[in-house]
Amino acid sequence: MTLAAQPSDRTQAARSAILPERGAGDRVSALLWRHPNLLLAALLILPLGWLVVVYLGSLSALLLQSFYSIDEFSGQIRREFTLSTYAELFRPANMDIIIRTVAMSAAVTLGAVVIAFPIAYFAARYARGHWKALFYLGVMLPLWSSYLVKVYAWKLILAREGIITWATDGIGASAVLNGILALPVIGGTSLSTSYIGTWLVFLYVWLPYMILPMQASLERVPQSMLEASADLGASRWQTMRTVIFPLALPGIIAGSIFTFSLTMGDYIIPQIVGSSRRFIGQAVYQLQGTAGNIPLAAAFAVVPIVIMLIYLTIARRKGAFDAL
Amino acid sequence: MTAAVEFLNVSRHFGSVRAVDGVDLSIAEGTFFAMLGPSGSGKTTCLRLISGFEQPTGGMIRIFGQDCSDVPPNRRNVNTVFQDYALFPHMNVRDNVAYGLMVKGVDKRTRHDRAEELLALVKLEGYGDRKPAALSGGQRQRVALARALINEPRVLLLDEPLGALDLKLREAMQDELKALQQRLGITFVFVTHDQGEALSMADQVAVFSEGRIAQIGTPSEIYEKPRTRFVADFVGSSNVLSAEMAASFGAPARPVSLRPESVRIVDEGARIRGQVVALRYLGAGTRVVVAAPGGEISVFLPKGSPVPEQGREVGLAWDDLAMHVMEQG
Repeated sequence: MTLAAQPSDRTQAARSAILPERGAGDRVSALLWRHPNLLLAALLILPLGWLVVVYLGSLSALLLQSFYSIDEFSGQIRREFTLSTYAELFRPANMDIIIRTVAMSAAVTLGAVVIAFPIAYFAARYARGHWKALFYLGVMLPLWSSYLVKVYAWKLILAREGIITWATDGIGASAVLNGILALPVIGGTSLSTSYIGTWLVFLYVWLPYMILPMQASLERVPQSMLEASADLGASRWQTMRTVIFPLALPGIIAGSIFTFSLTMGDYIIPQIVGSSRRFIGQAVYQLQGTAGNIPLAAAFAVVPIVIMLIYLTIARRKGAFDAL
Repeated sequence: MTAAVEFLNVSRHFGSVRAVDGVDLSIAEGTFFAMLGPSGSGKTTCLRLISGFEQPTGGMIRIFGQDCSDVPPNRRNVNTVFQDYALFPHMNVRDNVAYGLMVKGVDKRTRHDRAEELLALVKLEGYGDRKPAALSGGQRQRVALARALINEPRVLLLDEPLGALDLKLREAMQDELKALQQRLGITFVFVTHDQGEALSMADQVAVFSEGRIAQIGTPSEIYEKPRTRFVADFVGSSNVLSAEMAASFGAPARPVSLRPESVRIVDEGARIRGQVVALRYLGAGTRVVVAAPGGEISVFLPKGSPVPEQGREVGLAWDDLAMHVMEQG
């Protein structure tokens, strides 16, 4: 019996030796393997903590502030719930700021869609290899340099003594430039002090944020779908309108969220390039700084959030995300 | 009668790659025509030449006698069922099917009525409001078929349309496609790499190899009288006997095709003897590979006949008529 048992003991030992030695690291990895949620929790705890405490925390603090008001005589914040601060937004001067900002954001977004679409389309459907790398480099490169430097550079380009005036004079087109500057509302004494100038600089600075999501969504449209459309008798324009555009729409919406909200929140570009008429960002900056009216600044800051929510709701209702 | 589709010495080269190289073919109106070949043999490129997504680098393509070198895809009266179906994900099934009429400017009511008719034709009544994503593979295939038929094409092109379906569904769809083609009476050009599919459905089969047509004919001609070693081997995995072997069995001294199901295992009167080296159970029978002097010979034993053990020596016999003399080796 004992003799017979020996070899079987040895095979047992040999079998268990196939499993590796189990150290502390193995036990941790085994624990995580048996409880995948534990791993997920470990991964998410930091970003989730950031999101809840820092991000949502400050957002709710902002919201809370907007329901306070300021005492007109003492300048002290009255910590009582009131809607009077929001009512202040409807004063004509404040409404002007809101309308101006929304109109500019919409104009910048529209301009960005028009300019970005051909670029994104080329990059998604035709560019290969080196051309693709060149495209990414070309789109990203402006993002690597300082925002302020770019804006000041544009101020020089657009100024009355700048290169655009010089060039239009040179080709004898100064009448055209003057004609454009003479336009009501959007014109001004020079490009750098007009809404056109502000619009151009916004467009330049935010364009990459429109091109990249647009290109990503166009790239996901399979070639066979374009062929199917042509096969069924559609012209190129019909294919563009009924197949490519609807399928690229989620990307266009994503890009427009960037251009729209970035324009609405910016307070530097309109300060450097443009007329002295204020945008929401500048109003917030001045209200929380020099004026010390935190509640009204907060109420102004809520405006872009509300507008974006309305915008996305409409987009969803219109079926912009159906292709997702 | 003018042919539905005619290729006159057509070539399509991509740089140095000759995807299609000097193809001549003529597809008669109303036939079910299969283009059969392994991947990279040029069959799909030929289909895309007919639809207009590729342009020939040489030769001429005529559709119903009309040279279509300058005719873009959207102006050709042919429609395609794509391999991945290419249904528009943002449209429901009805709008997908009605697309061909929509781009022609047909009013909504008319085109929706017509779409419903076609959905009924492919047995998908009541699916009009669904999105393609909510359909199974087989249902998507039918929608793609209905969509391709709405413009009443005179030639319907099908690019491996059954490739993504499982076996059971594939067989059912084969029957349906064949029945549909007979009912509509239009020309079907069907690309496949599945020889069984080509043989069972088509009136005419063109076997492609390396950008050229190796053989063109009816399914029985292709199967029983393969012209080349490639056709014999690709269609039905035939035995190809060398010229010397053929001569020793009393056939002309040329390569000979011998179908596995024509070979019998016998004890007496064997033409040749060899050792069983492999057995493959196929359900309907067993494939026995016998190593004989001069090469291996496959034998198909139908269910019920005794199967020899591996390693045993067996004798093989076949009728003279079973040997088909090929033009080339």
